[in-house]
Amino acid sequence: MDINKTRVPMRELPVEDRIKKFDEVPLGYTEEQAIAEAGRCIQCNNAPCIRDCPVKIDIKTFLKQVAEGKFKEAFLTLKKDNPIPAIAGRVCPQESQCESVCTLGKIGDAANIGKLESFAADWARKNNVREEFDIEEKPQKVAVIGTGPASISCAVDLRKNGYKVTMYEALHKAGGVLQYGIPEFRLPRDVVDDELSYLTDIGVDIRLNRIIGQNVSFEELRSEYDAIFIGTGAGAPLFLGIDGEKLNGVYSANEFLIRVNLMKAYKFPQYDTPIKVKDKVGVIGAGNVAMDAARSALRLGAEVHVLYRRTKNEAPARKEELRHAIEEGINFVELVAPKRILGKDGWVKGIELIKMKLGEPDSSGRPRPVPIDVSEFTMDLDTVVVALGTKPNRLFLSRTPELKTTKKGVITVDDALATNIEGVFAGGDAISGGSTVIHALGEGRKAAKSIDAYLSDKGKTGSV
Amino acid sequence: MQMEKNSEHEITRKENLNSADYLVEVKAPLVARKFKSGNFVIFLLHEKGERIPMSVQRAEGDKITVFFKKLGKTSRELDSWNVGDSIKSVIGPMGNAIELKKYGNVVVASDLVCGHAENYAAVKALKDAGNHVISMQSFPTKDDVYPRKELSTMADEYYLTTEDGSEGIKGHYTDVLKGLLDKNKVDMVFAGGEIPSLGKLSELTKRYNIPTMVTLRQIMIDGTGMCGACRVFIDGEMKLTCIDGPMFDGHKVNFEEVIARLGMFREEESVAMDNYNNRGVHCGHK
Ligand SMILES: Cc1cc2nc3c(=O)[nH]c(=O)nc-3n(C[C@H](O)[C@H](O)[C@H](O)COP(=O)(O)OP(=O)(O)OC[C@H]3O[C@@H](n4cnc5c(N)ncnc54)[C@H](O)[C@@H]3O)c2cc1C
Ligand SMILES: Cc1cc2nc3c(=O)[nH]c(=O)nc-3n(C[C@H](O)[C@H](O)[C@H](O)COP(=O)(O)OP(=O)(O)OC[C@H]3O[C@@H](n4cnc5c(N)ncnc54)[C@H](O)[C@@H]3O)c2cc1C
Ligand code: SF4
Ligand code: SF4
Ligand code: FES
Repeated sequence: MDINKTRVPMRELPVEDRIKKFDEVPLGYTEEQAIAEAGRCIQCNNAPCIRDCPVKIDIKTFLKQVAEGKFKEAFLTLKKDNPIPAIAGRVCPQESQCESVCTLGKIGDAANIGKLESFAADWARKNNVREEFDIEEKPQKVAVIGTGPASISCAVDLRKNGYKVTMYEALHKAGGVLQYGIPEFRLPRDVVDDELSYLTDIGVDIRLNRIIGQNVSFEELRSEYDAIFIGTGAGAPLFLGIDGEKLNGVYSANEFLIRVNLMKAYKFPQYDTPIKVKDKVGVIGAGNVAMDAARSALRLGAEVHVLYRRTKNEAPARKEELRHAIEEGINFVELVAPKRILGKDGWVKGIELIKMKLGEPDSSGRPRPVPIDVSEFTMDLDTVVVALGTKPNRLFLSRTPELKTTKKGVITVDDALATNIEGVFAGGDAISGGSTVIHALGEGRKAAKSIDAYLSDKGKTGSV
Repeated sequence: MQMEKNSEHEITRKENLNSADYLVEVKAPLVARKFKSGNFVIFLLHEKGERIPMSVQRAEGDKITVFFKKLGKTSRELDSWNVGDSIKSVIGPMGNAIELKKYGNVVVASDLVCGHAENYAAVKALKDAGNHVISMQSFPTKDDVYPRKELSTMADEYYLTTEDGSEGIKGHYTDVLKGLLDKNKVDMVFAGGEIPSLGKLSELTKRYNIPTMVTLRQIMIDGTGMCGACRVFIDGEMKLTCIDGPMFDGHKVNFEEVIARLGMFREEESVAMDNYNNRGVHCGHK
């Protein structure tokens, strides 16, 4: 058989058009391109791709359907295992999941599974194709806390199973990180809104501005619902704890991205929330969050430097994000760690860095960065974005002392994702401390199964 | 701009308090049912709006009342709205309530719009908790004064000061407080309003060793501990004003830092104000 070793190239917005706008960078496959790309799949017997997809999408069947031009069927195949394919296809780190083990990868490029996934989902949205099913109503009610990917998938599955589902979201918009964190140039909001409208269409009640533990108590939920799913994520910012972090011009990546995405500060003053990047921005970190902040700052007109203690090769961000960041002209300052932020008149004016070298591998398997003695140097900056990662939000946890957590505030669950409180389950970043959209989604589904089992077993209603 | 109708947050009353400050009563059942003195709310006027934190004067039935100062874009935009218009979101109550217990003689002091709202809410709550409550308010001049009648009837003692002496005592609440402290008549102080005054107040009460809780303002977005914009350093330790505050031990706050952070978006705010004339004193800074 003649195998095409190279991918059908993805059309992308040219760099000069990208850097001034928040428009999505990949332009998507046309139908012909999708058919050609999917046609490269050799339909392996063992389909290793499926094994390495956290939600076990039947990728083999899906690609066959796309190759045959059966887009609707392909979409429905995706939907069986993934309620939000348009999103997962765009943000999954495919290179370390499904695509990493694709047999084609041994002789050339792996099949472009992610882009075909978003293609099929986009096709369905454009053609108003939706999954159809009958819901057999059940009497029990389930509360879902949060509206991120874990909560979305849990809510969908429970609703399909006939439960009455109410989602509670602290912010004024639903979607979790998909809404407030990931920028539009990676995940256009009409995609997110469409996936969310699907929830309301099937009868999920989404209540915004409800902060569980604050204006609605956990006890109230427990007395009103038969089961509860906690998908509160890990949204609290981490700071460096170094001198100068109090200065104006220092943002947590969360603040930066919440301003840009949730509040649309990039459209200021058309929207009321401001953002200030000045001229020279330093972003500390090299994960997805750091790339999102860096590429947003670039689009707001700044010169951007990513400051990272290892090298690009070890950067945890998705490969596509790194490539885009480099193409767009973001400067990577590798092997440096911040020592203090320097200020003048209350504003950031620079940063003191220490040089690092790569040492023995650490627990993550990546070489440990080791500081080089007396190698400190300074760099002029007027804005610093700290993108070190996040931790669980302590507001909810502080109001639910009966809920068992680790010292770091990660909720403790058993194999069925049940917490120590009967009828209360949890998933997503709230139980991992920070992971990926697709892992959160997988856990949401798993919790939905457990909740179904719990409620079927209980066979009656009653507070949890 | 096209306003989104959302009957849950309909404006049911709107009145001028003085030439700069106005009162808004809105339907906010979720807030009203849980509001406790010390909590604040977040207003989001419309789809394109900013989330702005506001103190609450009172909650009654399914409504809450707040005092706005006409200052920047958002506060002036709302000033152009009328009874019957609807605000997209009124979110809360946020933050922690004041610790209600019997302190003895409690002073509640304010010199700015937000503080006056807090003053009202605190006097009521602290009285119900069995305290002897001494309320103090400071204004530039006599035409500015509000809501004196309610406060003076509610509090056990009430002091009014004006900068120009046109009504009440000439000076500032800190002057009156010093007199009471000298007479050994104060067990606890709560205060809100201008940050520099809170700094001065805290310096004063520290000398007398009287516990003092001040309501801080920092720029906020989510109000749920997710953005870190509202961080303050209390005794060197990072705290979030929205979920750890908004009240902090005045003796442990570095007021200069608080003031510096509040000014971070000054330029953008004046852009937003456009042709409005951005001047005057506001909750927290000059
Ligand atoms: C900037 C950024 C970029 C990322 N990029 C990627 C990527 O490219 N690929 C990838 O796979 N992963 C990425 N991630 C990680 C991924 O987004 C998360 O792992 C995932 O969103 C976790 O989902 P979740 O449902 O657990 O929680 P979240 O998405 O965090 O949602 C939690 C929701 O719960 C709400 N909530 C919290 N407390 C309460 C409460 N008390 N009451 C009511 N609601 C509450 C929050 O407001 C939030 O909306 C990124 C994360 C960030 C921050
Ligand atoms: C806990 C708390 C309670 C408050 N209570 C009141 C109140 O009762 N009455 C009242 O009039 N004001 C109150 N404020 C201040 C109010 O939130 C701001 O004045 C408001 O955001 C101004 O918006 P603007 O567009 O009119 O003015 P802008 O021109 O945007 O801002 C004017 C000044 O207000 C402050 N400010 C701006 N944006 C924010 C923000 N997102 N969060 C906090 N401060 C901000 C800044 O110091 C700024 O310089 C309170 C603030 C906090 C934090
Ligand atoms: S969900 Fe993620 S891992 Fe699974 S097939 Fe899609 S892109 Fe690959
Ligand atoms: S591993 Fe690659 S080639 Fe094999 S079935 Fe999966 S996508 Fe097709
Ligand atoms: S307002 Fe965002 S953390 Fe306090």
